[in-house]
Amino acid sequence: MSSSSPAPHKPRRKPKKSDNDIDKPVRVRSEALVRTPSFPLAAFLWPARTSLSQWEVLPLVLMVVGLFRWAAGLWGYSGFQRPPLFGDYEAQRHWMEITAHLPISQWYFHDLEWWGLDYPPLTAYHSWALGKIGSLINPEWFALVSSRGSHDPTLKIFMRATVIISEFLIFVPATTVFVRRFSRLNGVNTWTSNLALVAILMQPATILIDHVHFQYNTVMLGFVVASMSSMLAERYMWAAVFFVAALGFKQMALYYAFSVFSYLLGRCITTGINPSRLFGIALVTIISFGVLVLPLALGVLYDKHRGIDAMPELKGSAAPLPIFSFITNYIDTQHFYYPIVEQLVQMVHRVFPFSRGLFEDKVANFWCALNTVIKLRNFPVELLQKAALGMTLLSIIPPNIILFLRPRKSALPLAFAATAWGFFLFSWQVHEKSVLLPLMPMTLLLAGKQGMSGEVRAWVGFANLLGAWTLFPLLHRVDLRVPYTALTLLWAYLLGLPPTSWSAPFQEGQSALVQWGTALLQSTFYVTMAAWHVLEASVIPPPGKPDLWVVANVGVGAAGFSICYLWCFWRLLRETDFLPSGGKVKAKTQ
Amino acid sequence: MAESYPTLTQCALVAAAFKVLLFPAYKSTDFEVHRNWLAITNSLPLSQWYYENTSEWTLDYPPFFAYFEWLLAHLARLVDPAMVRIINLNYDSWETVYFQRFSVIITELLLVYALQMFIDSSSLPTRRAAQAAALSVILSPGLLIIDHIHFQYNGAMYGILVASLVLARCKSTLLQSGLLFGALLCFKHIYSYLGPAYFVFLLRTYCLSSKSIFRIKFLNCVKLGLGLGGIFAAAFGPFALMGQIPQVLSRLFPFSRGLCHAYWAPNVWALYSLADRVLIYFAPKLGLPLNAEALNSVTRGLVGDTAFAVLPEISPRTCLVLTLLSQALPLIKLFRRPTWENFIGAVTLCGYSSFLFSWHVHEKAILLVIIPFSLIALTDRRHLSAFRPLIVAGYVSLFPLLFTPAEFPIKTIYTVFWLVLFLIAFDRLAPASNKPRVFLLDRFSTLYIAISIPLIAYTSLFHQIIFGKRLEFLPLMFTSSYAAIGVVGSWVGYMVVYYTS
Repeated sequence: MSSSSPAPHKPRRKPKKSDNDIDKPVRVRSEALVRTPSFPLAAFLWPARTSLSQWEVLPLVLMVVGLFRWAAGLWGYSGFQRPPLFGDYEAQRHWMEITAHLPISQWYFHDLEWWGLDYPPLTAYHSWALGKIGSLINPEWFALVSSRGSHDPTLKIFMRATVIISEFLIFVPATTVFVRRFSRLNGVNTWTSNLALVAILMQPATILIDHVHFQYNTVMLGFVVASMSSMLAERYMWAAVFFVAALGFKQMALYYAFSVFSYLLGRCITTGINPSRLFGIALVTIISFGVLVLPLALGVLYDKHRGIDAMPELKGSAAPLPIFSFITNYIDTQHFYYPIVEQLVQMVHRVFPFSRGLFEDKVANFWCALNTVIKLRNFPVELLQKAALGMTLLSIIPPNIILFLRPRKSALPLAFAATAWGFFLFSWQVHEKSVLLPLMPMTLLLAGKQGMSGEVRAWVGFANLLGAWTLFPLLHRVDLRVPYTALTLLWAYLLGLPPTSWSAPFQEGQSALVQWGTALLQSTFYVTMAAWHVLEASVIPPPGKPDLWVVANVGVGAAGFSICYLWCFWRLLRETDFLPSGGKVKAKTQ
Repeated sequence: MAESYPTLTQCALVAAAFKVLLFPAYKSTDFEVHRNWLAITNSLPLSQWYYENTSEWTLDYPPFFAYFEWLLAHLARLVDPAMVRIINLNYDSWETVYFQRFSVIITELLLVYALQMFIDSSSLPTRRAAQAAALSVILSPGLLIIDHIHFQYNGAMYGILVASLVLARCKSTLLQSGLLFGALLCFKHIYSYLGPAYFVFLLRTYCLSSKSIFRIKFLNCVKLGLGLGGIFAAAFGPFALMGQIPQVLSRLFPFSRGLCHAYWAPNVWALYSLADRVLIYFAPKLGLPLNAEALNSVTRGLVGDTAFAVLPEISPRTCLVLTLLSQALPLIKLFRRPTWENFIGAVTLCGYSSFLFSWHVHEKAILLVIIPFSLIALTDRRHLSAFRPLIVAGYVSLFPLLFTPAEFPIKTIYTVFWLVLFLIAFDRLAPASNKPRVFLLDRFSTLYIAISIPLIAYTSLFHQIIFGKRLEFLPLMFTSSYAAIGVVGSWVGYMVVYYTS
């Protein structure tokens, strides 16, 4: 474990002269030679400590995480045999159906009541490719209309395979590269970074949502990780391209947009004004967006040329724009480019549903928790929208200002996590699955300095276990208790976290007071979570309050996530030296 | 020396999580077989257990296994009463699946315990190697495929076997070892194939004096005899009292089956069948007579009864003679030098013989060879080079057991993972031998392992693309012929090692 060992390989190219002056020099702490693994995951990679090369460990790790994903996928998915609308699985399948069969101009208009397409274009293209491939194997899987609600078991295998392949093409390589770069930046040795990689790839919430409940979040998350990874490598234009791809796949990536913006801007201004870089980034971003919508625009023009309307049921007459209807005052609806405008406006309208409620279902964020105390329904929507906007800005502006002022590489995941937590807790229209967004950058911290040591592991583990726990009501609805239990407990066990081990907060570093405080605080939550599971399984809620357990879950979740937000923010302040960091204090006293 | 990591328990725990995730996976008719046995033992008196035949899956395991099912059924009834009704054929409610699958995971703890005994019984210098071998057994793709997907209770059974083998390591526990093996026979009679090695070993080390084979230790003989008698009485006594022994035996040993099982288990008879098929094309040129009846059966090799077109038919008696003959050879050496290593070697070779030459061998029986062999495979590199083709062939030959697309990635990726991991680990841990190695054998095994990759790709993917649904026997034939070459090769290789070490 000693970090003084020589680097395992030489970099292929000479390191660029980087504007690293802002990045703190790595303080290499002489860690005592560890003789026994302090948590089971370390035990599993123990034999790889001395001799095995990276290229022997990585394939084995990837095979294991792939196996767990596939095995988890054997379970049911959201909406399995639940007519009339089924669930996310049907939504994704339906998008493959419509994109594979309809002209591109109708994608965002087709039968919106039945899971109309409401994700940005990259998802549409992705669905199109998968739909075409799937139709080659079995045309019935994606037959227009007649395939709705299909529960063909081989279709399920195809769909599961597409999630895994998409993830292994995007998220897995991006994470692997990020972990390498981030751990090298922080002076973490390869073996420890492998631990972090396994821990990140085995995150229970991600596997449960993507591979069990069914969605393609890891594609979007993978693009974001790739973007962060490019930032570490100081390839800012690539960072912009990847981030546009993330946004283009799932609008939820906007949770990170502020941090991306602040970091890139900071790197262009605070680390020495660099207008050409700023201009380059701006240009590349615009071009990327252009490329993103280009197939859609060209397709629309081509469809117009062929006489295909976006909405055939209107028989040629132009429908009023759903939003931004003022545009028609400036543009003639007969212009050749009007269909493109119409298409883009429709896409934006579909992607950003401003008309929906403050929160969907029961989600562990501030508003839903507040709703249990004060009935928010009684307030005017405009007020609530303003309140949500104000609170969100209040929570995200401080971390982003910090990131802008001191855009340090080592602070990247912290700032991303803090911003995403802010969005998750306070913004409009949050879904419980959105918890994956703050969890992702927070979990990446495991690859950082002292990432696998007690404190960071305890907090990252706490956030992940709490996150998985708040997803339980969602999973419970489709009888996914068993994979939830297996995957969550497995991860907790591997990382030496409650309920399998309570020692994580007590390892090295901080003062005894902080250690006990952390342990006590987290234990309270863990005990509550366990007790909640017992109650939920054994006690039927009183007739007047059928949602009692879900509401309790939401309340506890929101409280815990707020603490996670504060922890990330506090760590960010320390990492950027706005607050004295604990390590320094300790170093002085030694 | 510090304990080496990961420990057996840690691996078993993580593997258990994976196995829990496999609950909804494909399950073979063996699942219904065991459910039916739960129902029989729970709802009928003892006297009817071996007569009941509502389901086609009648009770055909020895009585201890029936008692085990009887015990399980008490819990099963609490989980889902419908599970233990005989008329509920093919009943598979979620509770039933959870219960049965979970019972496999729990009873496998026996194997974990036995393997821990094995690690603890190894001397310090070999402990790391012993631990790696133990991990390879507990994580074995064979057990995963057969027990946790296909469905059986091999984990528990092999746990008893390994415990018995480990107990034989120490002079003071020889009696327990023998009795435990006796009990194992009353659980599952397939282990009687290993009986000759036990017989010779216990005879030489326990019943005869170590100084002279003409001095009989009478007290030990009485102890062993009474003990085994007691165990067999406990198992078969109740049925003997009711005069049901002929019926029980007819259930345990159904002689009406064919030489080769539904798929060809990779043994000598698979190669024999292959030779027969090839000879069909050459028979007219060579002037050999063809058996028209066999030629006409389109589904040859796929159904139970294999008839040979060119080569002479094989009778069960031939199989038995060949099996016993090939078992006798290693036993002579065991009798002369009854060390524990030779004992395990002899058990392994008995397993080989039964697998290679017996009548109606199932490919699952390969575990009978692999698991005892695992205990000594890391003795030195000579052992390892015989072991390597065996594990590749043995596990690849299990692939046809699972034919559903959902389980395809599990069986292939898991097996590849296991092979990569343990081939690397074994390579590092096996010490050099003090005897020269056979150069040719080493090259053979490397080449052999390399061939498995295109073979798996062809049988699982390319065959379907090229031929579609036609010639479905072809991948099966390739797999079993390939695996048969590996098993036979490793048998020959190990015979050489056994006699020269």
